[in-house]
Parts: sequence; C-alpha cells; structure tokens
Amino acid sequence: MEKIKPLLITAMATSIAFLACIWTATTALAINNELCMECHGDDSLTRTDSTGMKDTLYVDLEKFKYSVHNVNGIGCTDCHADIAKLDMDAEVPHSVNLATVNCGSCHDEVTKAYANSVHKKASHKGVDIPCYACHDYHDTARLAMATVSERQNSFCRKCHNPNKFHEWLPAKENHFAMVECTVCHAPEVPRHVNLRFFDLVDSTFLKGDVIMRHLGTNKEDFFKLIDKDGDTSLSQQEFEDLVLMLRQKEIRGVFHGELVAEINPIVHQVNRGEANRDCSQCHSVTSAFFQDVRLTLDMEDGSVSSYNVDRQVLQTYFVTFNALGTTRVRLLDKIGIALIAGGIAVVLIHLSARLLTIPLRRKKKINHPDA
Amino acid sequence: MSREYVHPAPVRVWHWINAFAFILLVITGVQIRFAEMINFLSLEDSIRLHNWVGFIVIADYALWYIYYFSTGKIRLYYPNLRTFAADALKQAKYYGCGIFKGEPNPHHMTADNKFNAMQQKAYVGLMFIFLPAQIISGIFLWQVKGFENYIDMLGGIRIVDTIHVLLFYFFAAFMIAHTYLATLGHTPLAHFKAMFTGYEEDH
Repeated sequence: MEKIKPLLITAMATSIAFLACIWTATTALAINNELCMECHGDDSLTRTDSTGMKDTLYVDLEKFKYSVHNVNGIGCTDCHADIAKLDMDAEVPHSVNLATVNCGSCHDEVTKAYANSVHKKASHKGVDIPCYACHDYHDTARLAMATVSERQNSFCRKCHNPNKFHEWLPAKENHFAMVECTVCHAPEVPRHVNLRFFDLVDSTFLKGDVIMRHLGTNKEDFFKLIDKDGDTSLSQQEFEDLVLMLRQKEIRGVFHGELVAEINPIVHQVNRGEANRDCSQCHSVTSAFFQDVRLTLDMEDGSVSSYNVDRQVLQTYFVTFNALGTTRVRLLDKIGIALIAGGIAVVLIHLSARLLTIPLRRKKKINHPDA
Repeated sequence: MSREYVHPAPVRVWHWINAFAFILLVITGVQIRFAEMINFLSLEDSIRLHNWVGFIVIADYALWYIYYFSTGKIRLYYPNLRTFAADALKQAKYYGCGIFKGEPNPHHMTADNKFNAMQQKAYVGLMFIFLPAQIISGIFLWQVKGFENYIDMLGGIRIVDTIHVLLFYFFAAFMIAHTYLATLGHTPLAHFKAMFTGYEEDH
C-alpha cells in the first residue's frame, strides 16, 4: 500500500494538471474573442503608423459573427497566431508589432493559385494586393449563396470598372448581372448555374426552410420527395412537378438563374488574356458552361443545400436565366418550322396548280381573246 | 394596257429597305439562335449586325409612318367595314380557284385603292401589331438590363424572347408567301417591276 500511495498521488496530480490544461485551453478559446473585443470593440480605437497615418483597430463584432471564419469556429488568435498570451494589466495587452496574418497557413491551395495570378504578379510593379484587399479583414463573406452582384461588388468591382473594358460585349449590363467575372476571367475554374426560387407574390428569394415547410418536408427528405426516380438529379419533369407542388401550396414564383464560379481555390488564378471573345463558347445548347445546373437553397441556419438539376430546365418557362441560343425553347422552333414549311407547301401547291392549269387559261384566251 | 402610278417614291424606298433589312435580320437571327449548328458569321458580328439592322428597320418604319399619316394615305390600309368580309371572300375565291381558270382579279388596283381586302387585313395586322411588337421586343432584348422593369411587366425575359422568336418565324414565313404572291401579276415579274418604277400596268 505504501508503494502504491505515491503512484496514486502522482496519477491524481497528473490527471488534475491535464484537466486543468484542457479547462484553461477551453476557457482561453471561449473567452478569447470576448477578451479581444474588450479593446477592439471600441470604434475609436486607432493606432498611428510609421507614416503618421491613423489606422482603425476596430473590429465590428456583428459583421465578424457572420463571417465564414467565425461560422467555422475560427477565433481571433487562430489567425493572429503570434499572440500567445494577453497581459490585461499592460497598456497594450500584446505586442504592438504583430506579424501580418498568413492566410496561406490554412489556405495553401489558394496561395498556390493566387501566386500564378495577374494580381500577385502585380507585386513586381510594386503593387501589393494582399488577401484582405478583396476579402476584407474580419467580415470575410460566405459566398456559396452570394449573388453575382454581391460577388462582383465585394471583389472585382472594388477596383475594376467593367464598363471600361467590355464595349464590344453585346448586352454587357445583362452579362454583368447574370455572369460572375471569374467565369470568363478564370476559365479553369468549374462553374455552375445557380437556380434560386424567387417568390413573385412577396418579391423575395424564399429560404429553403420556408419551401420545405410549405411542402411538408424537411432537409433530409426534401430531395427524396422531388427526385422521384432517385437518380440524384432533377429531370425537367421532376423540376416541373416541383413547380406544380409549390403552386398547389399557393406559392407562385420563378427560378432565378445566375452563372457563377465554384468556390474553389483555382478561382484566384485570374490572368490576362484568359477570357476570349468567342460568344459561341457560351451561346450554344452544347456549351460546357451550362453542364452543371443546381437548385440552391439558402437555409435559415446559414447552411446551403444544393441539388443537381438537368440542364434542360434552362429551356423552360420556370427559369428566368436567358442566354441567347443556349436556353432556347425548342417548342418555339417546332412551331416556327411548321409555319415556314406550311408557307412553302402552300406556295408549291399553288404554283403547281398554276402551272398545271396553263393549258386551260391558254384555251380560254384563244376562245375568248377579249376576256 | 394602262399604267397607273401607285407606288410613290417614299413607299418604294421604305419597301426595299425593309425587304433587305428583313432578309439580313432573318439570316443573323438564325445564326444567333442556332450558333452550334450554323457558322457563317461569328456570333458577335451577327448580334452587332442584327442590332444595327434592327435600328434601320425602326427608322424605316418611322419613314412609313410619317409618310402615310402626313399624306393621309394611311386610309389605304383601312378596310371598308361594310364590304370587307364579302370582298375578302371574293378575293380568296379568286386566289383559290378563279386565278387558275383565268378569271379576272376582282380587285382593280388604283393609287387610291391599292390593296385588296385580304391585303388590307394582312397589312393592318403587320404594320400596326406584328411589326411594332417585333420592334419593341427587339429593343427590350437589345438592352435587357436597361428595360428590366418593362420586361418584368410583360412577364419576364422568356416571354419577351418568345414573342420575338415567334414573330421572327412568322415574318420569315410571310416573306416566302409575300414573294410568291408578288408573282401573281399579269406577268410573274410585273409587281416586282412596279415596285421599282412605281407604275402598275393594268391589263
């Protein structure tokens, strides 16, 4: 027993120390952001840099709360990793010369793609474009549900005025509204057409939860309900059935389509000369740009549900996405061909009858020369 | 044989500009709609040409409108409501039967009575409904973003596109029928000649 006692004490002490470590670490993580915000929540907090310019050190917690980092549990010191401890008694609780946040420590693939982009290459000309120039410091947006306009306004349009460089582009404003810049300017990136349900009565995009509630289903069973043949993709018929089901529940709307780039590291590889002026690469029914069509639902909990849809739905009247040639309604062509063929047939029949009756008229003229 | 001046110069100018513009619009329209099947012009050039020619048609329509209304000749297009149905039937009977037997055309073309009852019906629809609808839908498709509100009022871009495409096919079919009907003068080329000289020959 005497031999066991020190062992027991050591084991207990180790366990207590281990638990204390976990508790301290957990507490530190849990309070970390709050501690930071004690100072950085003050919108008058500034510092004066070496050139005498004032920099704000304020962090808008409301915006940070909805940022992609906070949503994924990334706290202040995960990025500002050189803050090992805070001395709350000091005037500034941490070093005033913090290192620049290295986004690449987590986003290594993005860093590689970005290194080979026109934006990174601009550093040779003395123009440094760090990640936060586009993504902002703390309210780094979640983009899966972002519209083309949100994506462009948050990124490319901050610096670029597309009107200056697209004079040649027919219906350019329409392209800017429906197609994300990187679809053309980073053509390596996978892209898809996002279809979102727009309620015509309330003039708003309906949340996925609202649609599911109306259909009496939930996130788990929604797709099983609409994908009747279980092939993991909505056919045109299944898509039309979904519209009908919604109409039966008094929900009237259309699916608003936009051509967007995948949230993929390679989207950062934007280079000069990548976009071309060959309109037919998009504007044809066989275009690769419209292979991937998705019904995208924005859920109330901030998540996004996305379902594969057959590209043929782009040719229906339930989708507002209109790309010349690509989304043409085939029925109109059948009607058109019938009209033209009918016109030609009538002409040919009439002409044949005219030719066949020439002897008749000639005879009449001979018999009645004054007629 | 007598000659009558039935196609004044502004009408002839309007007609031939319209005819060539329509041919160009049909060709470029087909290229735009079926880019994956046809490749005689790049899509960019087709769209640019289609837009420019579209504006020529609009200007030409304005010429027609101003000429016909300012001279009061627009009355040529108004059907006589009392005799219209009977005249149209008579004309249809002529085209469907009488023409083969060598019967005379029931309509006698003069400067004041240029169109037969069937033409009046067709042209009133064409010039006051179909062509304006095609022009308006074309303008909306030219600047979708700029006319977004009007497009939404009409039911969305797909509806406007449908109107434009159906009318495109209609006009394409019309041009075939119109060209054929123009061969039904006293000689196959008589009406074509008249549309250049202004004079219709009456036999």
